[in-house]
Amino acid sequence: MVQLVNAAFNGLSLSSIILLTSLGLAITFGLMKVINMAHGEFVMIGAYMTYITQQLFLAALPKASMSLYYFAAIPAAFLAAFALGCLTEKLIISRLYGREIDSLLATGGLSLVLQQAARSIFGSQGVNVEAPDFLKGGISAFGCTFSYNRIFILILVSATLLAIWILIYKTKFGSHMRAVMQNRPMAQCMGINSRRVDNITFGIGSGLAGLAGCSVALLGSVDSTAGQSYIVNSFMAVVLGGVGKIAGTVVGSAIIGFSGIAVESFTSSSIAKAIVLIIIIVFLQRKPQGLFTIRSRSLDE
Amino acid sequence: MKPAEKDIALKISSISASFDGFYALTDVSVEVERNTSRFFIGPNGAGKTTLLDIICAKTKPSAGTVAFFPKSGPMARLTGMKERQIASMGIGRKFQVPSVFASLTVFDNMLLSLKGHKGIWDSIFRPLSAHDEEKIEAGLERADLSDKKGSSAGSLAHGQKQRLEIAMLLVQEPELILLDEPTAGMGKRETEETGEMLAQIKKSCTVIAVEHDMDFIKQAADMVTVLHEGKVLVEGSVLEVLADKAVQAVYLGRGGDY
Amino acid sequence: MKNKIKIRHFAFAAIAASLAIVPALLQAGLVDSPAVFFLGKCIAFSIAAIGIDLIWGFTGILSLGHGLYFALGGYAMAMHLKMNATGGNITEFMHTGGLTRLPLIWRPFLSPILTAVLIFAIPAALSGLVGGFIFKKRVKGVYFSIISQALTWAAYSMFIALSPYTNGNIGITDIKSIFGAVRGAANYMNLFKIFYASLAALVLVYIMASFLVERKFGKILAAIRDAENRTYFSGYQASRYKSFIYVLSAAIAAAGGAVFVNFNGSITPSQMTISYSITMVVWVAIGGRGTIIGAVIGAFLINLCEYNLSSGSMVDIWQYIIGAMFCIAILFFKGGIAGLFSAQIPELARRFRAGREEESEAG
Repeated sequence: MVQLVNAAFNGLSLSSIILLTSLGLAITFGLMKVINMAHGEFVMIGAYMTYITQQLFLAALPKASMSLYYFAAIPAAFLAAFALGCLTEKLIISRLYGREIDSLLATGGLSLVLQQAARSIFGSQGVNVEAPDFLKGGISAFGCTFSYNRIFILILVSATLLAIWILIYKTKFGSHMRAVMQNRPMAQCMGINSRRVDNITFGIGSGLAGLAGCSVALLGSVDSTAGQSYIVNSFMAVVLGGVGKIAGTVVGSAIIGFSGIAVESFTSSSIAKAIVLIIIIVFLQRKPQGLFTIRSRSLDE
Repeated sequence: MKPAEKDIALKISSISASFDGFYALTDVSVEVERNTSRFFIGPNGAGKTTLLDIICAKTKPSAGTVAFFPKSGPMARLTGMKERQIASMGIGRKFQVPSVFASLTVFDNMLLSLKGHKGIWDSIFRPLSAHDEEKIEAGLERADLSDKKGSSAGSLAHGQKQRLEIAMLLVQEPELILLDEPTAGMGKRETEETGEMLAQIKKSCTVIAVEHDMDFIKQAADMVTVLHEGKVLVEGSVLEVLADKAVQAVYLGRGGDY
Repeated sequence: MKNKIKIRHFAFAAIAASLAIVPALLQAGLVDSPAVFFLGKCIAFSIAAIGIDLIWGFTGILSLGHGLYFALGGYAMAMHLKMNATGGNITEFMHTGGLTRLPLIWRPFLSPILTAVLIFAIPAALSGLVGGFIFKKRVKGVYFSIISQALTWAAYSMFIALSPYTNGNIGITDIKSIFGAVRGAANYMNLFKIFYASLAALVLVYIMASFLVERKFGKILAAIRDAENRTYFSGYQASRYKSFIYVLSAAIAAAGGAVFVNFNGSITPSQMTISYSITMVVWVAIGGRGTIIGAVIGAFLINLCEYNLSSGSMVDIWQYIIGAMFCIAILFFKGGIAGLFSAQIPELARRFRAGREEESEAG
């Protein structure tokens, strides 16, 4: 029983981490159909922003208020990645709409540059972010311990999902965004500035990566390859769920997370990761459109 | 059930197709006689292109069958076959937006369309025969593209691409061709020329077309089937169909720009 | 058209000829032996780049997994060479990993013939299995890239995790070439042998690839890149062509990997990463996709720059330069360097000639 609860919590926690790093992709890849290979590096930037904020607080404020840094780090991580995302869209992606593979490659080049930038600024050794006091420790129940920072990530991912839902379905910008993604020429005719919508949508997707970086910084040391370890699972979560459906990404992340934990009980964690990926690849060979598919003539093209 | 008096080339039986719960076609049955031209007309969204897609296996129907009767050989059920199998049965398809291989030369576009030898081995080791070359030259001559044979297909004007695509179809030596709006984007003179070309093609080949241009339909169609909301509304000769009250209601009543 | 093709082959012949005199230069003392080892690796890289050009440049399929095939070829060769070095006994790292007997998967690599087969057979089987299913289901474009990336990542994790068999992160080290030791002046003869054998392999791969793309086969690949759906309606089983070229390019990449370990003396999982796969695509993109010669030029040029720049203070800046060059090539020079030569320079020459004619008319 204890083991089962533990496994369930670990699965939930892993799923939420994957989901948090996938949500940005669900927007840039799922809705905009742009593959951003530098998405992982945006996660890394969020993590480094958290580190920088912490260092600034350490230098400027008394030790007692140190823990508050995290509240500043969250917006800082989001905004830094958002700004860089907007810039990337403007300089690279906007020139490559309709050339998906080329935009994948160009952002791949960007990812090499950002990794190098991280190495030259922060060194190739990882840096450690200390969790704020209120996220240290955990609560015990059913004979196992639930660490606060994993619970915090769960809450963060739920809040982010809610925010995305509100953004897409309850705001004016959201309706513009849906209009542009569904029928660009028509949206343009109705006076929507589609380039600006693209730019901001991509920025939001990138910002979400930064936000994810802020929370993965709590889980281990941050180095220039921090993003790479998340990117593969994130892409698979989006594809597995069915591109274009955010709910699909939620399910995709959950499947990868829970099955990862399940396989892990038989073998080591890195082999478990590999096995899960291989199972998903095999699944996608049978059903390449993912779990949730929309059948329509336009998608058959 | 071989047709006795009429020489049927294609028999569409009770075809239905749905996308996400929306029925694009409902219980459509049509018989097309050999070496005639059959035009499908109807308002946008009537299911015309979907029907062409089903015949050449681009789309799977949710019910019904399509049967093809080649000049020689047994009847073939097209539903359930693959696109390339259908192509090798002698059925060619022209798309609404001209679809040519943009980075290849006009000559190479024709070369890839030649009938037969579609396997990997042949594509590597079989040399181009003089006979093949003659066929390509003749096809380009007919399409008035001989002087363009060395230029890339992507650099052609819209009308030239249309002609190239039809030439590519013909060099496949098809028994049945499917044309999706063959005159879209053409001027009056070009449209007439296309009509004359169709009359030529019909001698050796059955033609199924989707078209909006009424003048062209009057010039080129032997039989017309009107589709409306995924169902067959009326079938008959051009004049019969145009005189039909129901057709006038759904078609001309809609604004009369046809 | 014919003329352009000739210039390409001429350029390749010039590259091959200049490589052929490198051993002589070494003996004359004009280059040092690290340079020869480095050029040998460049030969390996350009073999792999030709494979990538076939699948990406010609067919338009972006594989982010060619690093994996390169590494698989490399590992197969390295395992054989390691067995040569230990005389068929189990290695240090197997001991450390708790193994007492040579594991079964290492046994075939005792035999040189089986190794030669497996260098190609393993990548070919894996790519055939993956590609065969995926292409049949009409998975296209970026979806294929994502799946190939996941496959690479999965294999990378496996190789690191199975360290008793693969020596994990460190990889297989301390190996000699197939002709024996190559380091040091006493072994120049062996170095020359492996150098010329590798050069011969490059020439062979170049000729084979050029032959394929100049046949109707190559045109079908381009047709698939331009309008895949149309090829089905023209009667081609495009998925079979795609699988074929994918397997072939994987086998070529593996050949590159097998050549590589002879000069590098080791193979590590870092050759199996996604970044490394992208780096290999960078060579082709900058050299010029869809030309074969562009892949060779790109692989040599970029690695030569890296070799000369990444020592000392330039090491940091180099990564920025290559990333920026890549983005610029993708954004503005789709044809890469080969494209510049085949499109821009003839245009300049034409203008120059036109200018001269005007002059002569005026005079």
